[in-house]
Amino acid sequence: MATATEQWVLVEMVQALYEAPAYHLILEGILILWIIRLLFSKTYKLQERSDLTVKEKEELIEEWQPEPLVPPVPKDHPALNYNIVSGPPSHKTVREWKRIIILVTLIKGSSLASLKKYGVGLFNHLTFLTEIDVHLDLEERLAKFMKTEEAIIYSYGFATIASAIPAYSKRGDIVFVDRAACFAIQKGLQASRSDIKLFKHNDMADLERLLKEQEIEDQKNPRKARVTRRFIVVEGLYMNTGTICPLPELVKLKYKYKARIFLEESLSFGVLGEHGRGVTEHYGINIDDIDLISANMENALASIGGFCCGRSFVIDHQRLSGQGYCFSASLPPLLAAAAIEALNIMEENPGIFAVLKEKCGQIHKALQGISGLKVVGESLSPAFHLQLEESTGSREQDVRLLQEIVDQCMNRSIALTQARYLEKEEKCLPPPSIRVVVTVEQTEEELERAASTIKEVAQAVLL
Amino acid sequence: MANPGGGAVCNGKLHNHKKQSNGSQSRNCTKNGIVKEAQQNGKPHFCDKLIVESFEEAPLHVMVFTYMGYGIGTLFGYLRDFLRNWGIEKCNAAVERKEQKDFVPLYQDFENFYTRNLYMRIRDNWNRPICSAPGPLFDVMERVSDDYNWTFRFTGRVIKDVINMGSYNFLGLAAKYDESMRTIKDVLEVYGTGVASTRHEMGTLDKHKELEDLVAKFLNVEAAMVFGMGFATNSMNIPALVGKGCLILSDELNHTSLVLGARLSGATIRIFKHNNTQSLEKLLRDAVIYGQPRTRRAWKKILILVEGVYSMEGSIVHLPQIIALKKKYKAYLYIDEAHSIGAVGPTGRGVTEFFGLDPHEVDVLMGTFTKSFGASGGYIAGRKDLVDYLRVHSHSAVYASSMSPPIAEQIIRSLKLIMGLDGTTQGLQRVQQLAKNTRYFRQRLQEMGFIIYGNENASVVPLLLYMPGKVAAFARHMLEKKIGVVVVGFPATPLAEARARFCVSAAHTREMLDTVLEALDEMGDLLQLKYSRHKKSARPELYDETSFELED
Repeated sequence: MATATEQWVLVEMVQALYEAPAYHLILEGILILWIIRLLFSKTYKLQERSDLTVKEKEELIEEWQPEPLVPPVPKDHPALNYNIVSGPPSHKTVREWKRIIILVTLIKGSSLASLKKYGVGLFNHLTFLTEIDVHLDLEERLAKFMKTEEAIIYSYGFATIASAIPAYSKRGDIVFVDRAACFAIQKGLQASRSDIKLFKHNDMADLERLLKEQEIEDQKNPRKARVTRRFIVVEGLYMNTGTICPLPELVKLKYKYKARIFLEESLSFGVLGEHGRGVTEHYGINIDDIDLISANMENALASIGGFCCGRSFVIDHQRLSGQGYCFSASLPPLLAAAAIEALNIMEENPGIFAVLKEKCGQIHKALQGISGLKVVGESLSPAFHLQLEESTGSREQDVRLLQEIVDQCMNRSIALTQARYLEKEEKCLPPPSIRVVVTVEQTEEELERAASTIKEVAQAVLL
Repeated sequence: MANPGGGAVCNGKLHNHKKQSNGSQSRNCTKNGIVKEAQQNGKPHFCDKLIVESFEEAPLHVMVFTYMGYGIGTLFGYLRDFLRNWGIEKCNAAVERKEQKDFVPLYQDFENFYTRNLYMRIRDNWNRPICSAPGPLFDVMERVSDDYNWTFRFTGRVIKDVINMGSYNFLGLAAKYDESMRTIKDVLEVYGTGVASTRHEMGTLDKHKELEDLVAKFLNVEAAMVFGMGFATNSMNIPALVGKGCLILSDELNHTSLVLGARLSGATIRIFKHNNTQSLEKLLRDAVIYGQPRTRRAWKKILILVEGVYSMEGSIVHLPQIIALKKKYKAYLYIDEAHSIGAVGPTGRGVTEFFGLDPHEVDVLMGTFTKSFGASGGYIAGRKDLVDYLRVHSHSAVYASSMSPPIAEQIIRSLKLIMGLDGTTQGLQRVQQLAKNTRYFRQRLQEMGFIIYGNENASVVPLLLYMPGKVAAFARHMLEKKIGVVVVGFPATPLAEARARFCVSAAHTREMLDTVLEALDEMGDLLQLKYSRHKKSARPELYDETSFELED
């Protein structure tokens, strides 16, 4: 019975086929043929048109010419013809850049002792069996001297602040930094990938404006604000301008807007304050109000390296996350011993700070009134700048004029130097200047002589 | 008799043809899970030198236990945090000031979770202070903790004559003062310790010039420049060489200083798999053909960043292949020889000498003086125009102080020793002794059945421990046996691959190495560390024997 119904259905179908109009059948036939064609033809992909053949790829590889690894450097660039110094950088041979206290003989004695005990280098990263008792000593002494809980030592001055900032400030945090901050701070900020807000040099009103703006932003998004950390990074004595930061106002702003302060005291450590403790002692501020103080030991302590000090809560974090600390070899013991000895000297003779202050004042006054050059920097600062009063218009011209002055002073045995910057890398390039540095060991006659020589030379060159 | 292995038996020794085939450039022979890369160099006279590196995988149960260990530690960590929060347990960590309690917290709670709960338990194995020169034997200050490693105090006793397997003292130049160091004493007296100036200003001493000339001579290149810190050499000079619009191809396991330098430069960074030339070639091809990502402009320059010897793995870079690639695709090569200068190569001149290549083929040779030379600082060497450019544009030359004079003198002294300029062959002997010690140490460890990573010629030997508990137990027991070792865990290594890292030195005598090996043997049995499934026997020529019966 089933087959009969099937057959009947089949017959009906064939009959329907006969009865359908012709155009219908033809249309259906064409559609079926079209479908079959589409099924069997290759798919048309848009990318294929732009895909390169192997031959084209090889041609591209052959044709490509990279830039040379380094562009050529003019042969007479000053950096290639250094002043080569022979002999120790003490106050007699050169009047060099950053040395403030040089009691070289005494320091040599103790570093000699540690050379005998430890040899020179240390062969491994600090976490791995190379923390020597000398380092622990130095850290303790520094912490005690600065009256903080803890200190941590780095083996290179530049790396100190450049590793400290990224250890705390990460992507998404906000850092307010002065325009005249030094290059090491700039590199630290770049490595931290945080938002950077620059405020005008030493201008607290500008800083307050930025902080207020940030507060308004915070109110729009309180959840985000609760996890964004805020930092203010300033220097005690600015290397680029020789001015002091207004710390009391900064501390007030800190508590008002809940930002933490990082203070970079490379130039002011061992210079400002009654006992040389830096700008906090100078203003009489409680050191615990500053979250982190970083300084390098290359200026006042006549050694190499740097340190950070502050409360244990803050400093201990750097032992595992400060890149320049964990991934780098530790300070050679003889340099650490030299630093300890220098600290001893600083503690035993607190009178030298007053003497230094006087000498700074003296040379500052003596160099005022040179026509054509103006003195930039406070009278307390042992490192200040002499800039051209009126720029000639092009930076190169200025640099050449100043170099003329420096060279002529050299001929009369006064060693000076121009402040050097990497022009393309600095965020806010300071104008060209001559850097003058005073040390404790220079006598008054020498300072007088130096001042008068500079005056003469400047008048000769600039007029 | 036909040998089923396909080799021919000749005078009782089995020569297997497969070993001597030299058609393919690189082949991975996989046997029982070991992947051995049998590769050959381009130069014909080295075609019988196989680079044998092994990175064996641990058995499954070890990985399971490792992760379980971390899991249990984490659970307990949460429990303790909870107790501390509710005041049931005393909190020993430093806390924020009262006045600043309403500031945004300085650390995310989670960031420190690992430090607080896992690292703190075994913290006594790191940062151990020593009180003598880090020679082959040294003195460790004893310290105890009364409150489970939150604070330490020194008992005042000193553990004397601990065998030092942790310092990178490759050539044995770390030593107490002896008469040969008199020159350093003189330099110290004349020049003082600090320099207090940058290279551009007043900081170039004649000692620096002498040192740079000597370094250039040692490496057989045109010129060199020295810097005060090894880490800073990388992080301050890579930004001077490349900038925006350039491409950096860096190895997966590069050191933090290279990564930081690459990031600070602003160039685009692409990472290729560790020591994997195929991965590097693919990246190079894509870079040259397709150019910069969206604009399709050509890259300005391509710089390949590799290291000579990788300290956490003990592997040596496959330099001949990389140089071939670099020539084909016109890229520049930067090698960081921090761990290989002075330690690798027949006369200690680094990986270029190890492979018999010309140092001029590498564009930038960088290294540090901390490891083999017993001082601190770094150098960059290469063609004269490269070094001149760096003298002018390096961040370190303009803003950071130069090397301290006595340190420079120490490096000069070591270089003269190694080069033989002081009239003795002591330098060469040390290099050869180091190579012998390395091979002996590695061979014995492999025989015992430990899992060792890396190339058989690298003096840095990582021994895998895996489980965090064993890491602590290992370090503590070894100190009791008066052997100082370095153990490394997360985050310096991947989470599940904690290891102990031994640094063989030329100053280690055979007896010292034997003492250490015996102790390791005991430790291995006690702590069940002998995970290797490929215990090598001491007779490698019998490996391919298939039958040990007399055949007639």
